[in-house]
Amino acid sequence: MAALAEADYVVELESLSVRYDNTHALRSVSDVVAPGEWLGVIGANGAGKSTLLRALAHLVPYEGVVRIDGANAKPLSRRHFARLVAFVPQKPELPQQMRAIDYVALGRTPHLGYFGVDGEHDRVRCASLLERLGLGAKAERTLATLSGGELQRLVLARALAQEAPVLLLDEPTSALDLGRRVEALELVDELRHERGLTVISALHDLTLAAQFASRLLLLHEGSVVATGGPAEVLDETALGHYFGARVQVLRSSDGELVVIPRRKSERKP
Amino acid sequence: MKAVRSSLGIVAMVLGSMLFPIAGTAGAAPGGAGFPVTVKAANGSVTIAKRPTAIVSLSATATEMLYAIGAGSQVKAVDKYSNYPKGTPMTSLDGYSVNAEAIAKYHPDLIVVAYDPPALAAQLAKLKIPVIYDPAAANLAVAYHQYLGLGAATGHLLGAQREVAHLRTVVTSIVKATPRPPAGTTYYYELDPTYYSVTSGTFMGQLLGLLGLHSIADKAGVNSNGGYPQLTAEFILQANPTYIFLADHGCCKATPATVAARPGWSALSAVANHRIVTLSDDIASRWGPRIVILLQEVANELKRQQG
Amino acid sequence: MTAVRSTAPDAVAAPAPVSAKRPVLIAVVVLIAVALLATAIGPADLSLTTVLQVLASHLPWWHPHGTVTPIDQAIVWEIRLPRVVLGGLVGSMLAAGGASYQGVFRNPLADPYLLGVAAGAGLGATVAIISSSRSMYLLPAAAFVGGALAVTLTYLVGSRATTHSSGSSIVLAGVAIAAVFTALQTNLQQQHAADLQPVYSWILGSLSTASWSDVGLIAPYVLISAVVLLAHRRLLDVLRVGEEEAAALGVHPQRVRLAVVAAATLGTAAAVSVSGLIGFVGIIVPHVVRLTTNASYRVVLPVSMISGASFLILADLGARMLDAPAEVPLGVVTAFIGGPFFIFVLRSRRSHQGVL
Repeated sequence: MAALAEADYVVELESLSVRYDNTHALRSVSDVVAPGEWLGVIGANGAGKSTLLRALAHLVPYEGVVRIDGANAKPLSRRHFARLVAFVPQKPELPQQMRAIDYVALGRTPHLGYFGVDGEHDRVRCASLLERLGLGAKAERTLATLSGGELQRLVLARALAQEAPVLLLDEPTSALDLGRRVEALELVDELRHERGLTVISALHDLTLAAQFASRLLLLHEGSVVATGGPAEVLDETALGHYFGARVQVLRSSDGELVVIPRRKSERKP
Repeated sequence: MKAVRSSLGIVAMVLGSMLFPIAGTAGAAPGGAGFPVTVKAANGSVTIAKRPTAIVSLSATATEMLYAIGAGSQVKAVDKYSNYPKGTPMTSLDGYSVNAEAIAKYHPDLIVVAYDPPALAAQLAKLKIPVIYDPAAANLAVAYHQYLGLGAATGHLLGAQREVAHLRTVVTSIVKATPRPPAGTTYYYELDPTYYSVTSGTFMGQLLGLLGLHSIADKAGVNSNGGYPQLTAEFILQANPTYIFLADHGCCKATPATVAARPGWSALSAVANHRIVTLSDDIASRWGPRIVILLQEVANELKRQQG
Repeated sequence: MTAVRSTAPDAVAAPAPVSAKRPVLIAVVVLIAVALLATAIGPADLSLTTVLQVLASHLPWWHPHGTVTPIDQAIVWEIRLPRVVLGGLVGSMLAAGGASYQGVFRNPLADPYLLGVAAGAGLGATVAIISSSRSMYLLPAAAFVGGALAVTLTYLVGSRATTHSSGSSIVLAGVAIAAVFTALQTNLQQQHAADLQPVYSWILGSLSTASWSDVGLIAPYVLISAVVLLAHRRLLDVLRVGEEEAAALGVHPQRVRLAVVAAATLGTAAAVSVSGLIGFVGIIVPHVVRLTTNASYRVVLPVSMISGASFLILADLGARMLDAPAEVPLGVVTAFIGGPFFIFVLRSRRSHQGVL
């Protein structure tokens, strides 16, 4: 795995399409995600954000090509692929009786043989991940006893245990309250820099997307309608059109973009 | 196989005999063939309007009894287990799962059953056909009563009385001619290869008791599982019975050789001394006229061992 | 990209890994105690000295003088001991099978009979008895074939039902297949009512005719099944996060499920073929183990396997002794010991968190 740490993991999408029955959930999406970049995928409900993430994770069949570090991902074995790409679903399944340390250790699966059992080396690695994410004291606790924020970090820890250079996050913060959301995204950003991860995430909250993603990709009915830096993509007219809502984009005093939804009707006196 | 059926029957019979202590007593003039006649069976008083000419027997034992008392020519259909005597009008009827309509097809004027599935009697009653329910007999006396009842119901009371007298004589003479085995002579009676057995309280147990034999199964309680307990193998070995009677040759191919080959069984004295008797399943599971054959076989074995 | 591997591990002490050692050790000690007890006690009441003498006489370097009668010798060595050993093998398979099925289908009520093993084996046994006079000898093989056939059908039907084969469609298929097989079996039984006492007592489940040859008959299957299931213990933990996440972790959930179901069915069908249908073991043992130890399959699977053996040996001791010298049906005993004990364990634990 030494090669892994040194390589630049560019993720290329070439005419990616996904069909559910006869309807296109994703239409010919192409993009190049640079190594170390954080791509925020935005769009209204049903625009295809999750589908794009799940196709990238090879959890739904797709047409087109996904290249990881220049290599076509389709022929890779699942195990091999899981060493390159870690996926965190929107609503992870959390076995209540499992201990935190055991849950994180599941992330070691792609590094073990079919009948393999994690050794001391894997254990130490998982333990230090828990420490890093501030869960060191909770290692032996069962998932049932952890808070929402702790669980979110735990899921992240499991994904990091895969030691994959590409991290896919499907709405990583949807279950968290405001404070925890920012905290979680800060953490992802820290880890991205720390480990040189390429992050692709679907994000619901446009303001947070603007603050954390290095680049945004706006989807509408399965197609890419805009991509670029937050300032380019977060255009009031375009957002109003694609989200079917009135929005106002402001720039805060420290230069961050803030997207504010507005009511459509005039306030009656 | 037979254990379950017999034990069900026994339970029913115990109930039946408590309610109708004089089962099978003819209501008509003794020896006469006058109809209508009322007989008592396990299902109560049954009135037969005229001499039946289309009897359906769903009981292998009753079939044997009917032929033995001379009513064979009146039997129109028998169930698929009524394989004796030769030439019975066998059908695919099954005495253990029948429906009234399948029986009605034969337009019977008398039906004899040994097993009374729920609601069958009630359904047959709607057809206005008299049903005699003669379940497995608990002892010889009950079996004799069943003969007399069938005799009265079919107009062959005299034949029935003769048959009963004959059986009594034969049984007595066999018992008299057989030397009493030493006290403590025991047997293990095998109903099936999973060691279901009979106690001395059952019909078969009482019959063998006439010859001075006792069942090892009595230790489980004479009424354990209705007299048909399943014994543990290690108990059979420790009890070390004098004789082994196999009533599971027909169903399950048990033979003295297969018994001797069972792990550990070669240590039994019955195996070492060749005291294993293979009985006919059919005879052993019925309480009809052929019980004397079985009794004679066992008596011969006792004589052989002591003479 | 630097440092996916750069996490500095030395600073952190790893928490104790999931250790199966202690629970397994305890389970083994219990098993040995139970096995000794069950060998020492029986309806033939032999003294402990006699039993020990017989056991000792089979040690290769021991040649005691013949103070034990051949019958006592046979009782201990040919009747009682094989029964204990067979009970252990059957119990371990039923319990391990139950734990595995619950794992792959993520259904706490899944047990070895769920996919039609019982119904198929019952039909096989019935057909054997009706069609052959040598039925008693063919019964185990026929039961085995019937059980395996039913599960295969269940799998084919269940995986056709939906393109993305989910656990629940296979479970539903199992229910349907079991219903069809049971109907066929009941129908045959009706038609041949008088011949079917052996089927009847087989269905009740019993170890009454256990012998070393039965032990030899199922030992290979039990061994294969146990090895394969134990080898999957970590993957069963991976499946606990669901199909999709397991797939994202590099696992093929369907393949794992197929392998586990095949192994569990092989072991269960083999066990059932000699013991008949003994219910309850496959549900109660894994759940008690889960509730009393850590819920990881790395612990649950081996400990269930060992405790299943103890449980059935103990239940069979009851079957032999409660109404001695008559037998009590083993299924009755397992339900009688198991039911209240299970309720006790459920109530004494806070079980609101779910058991899987």
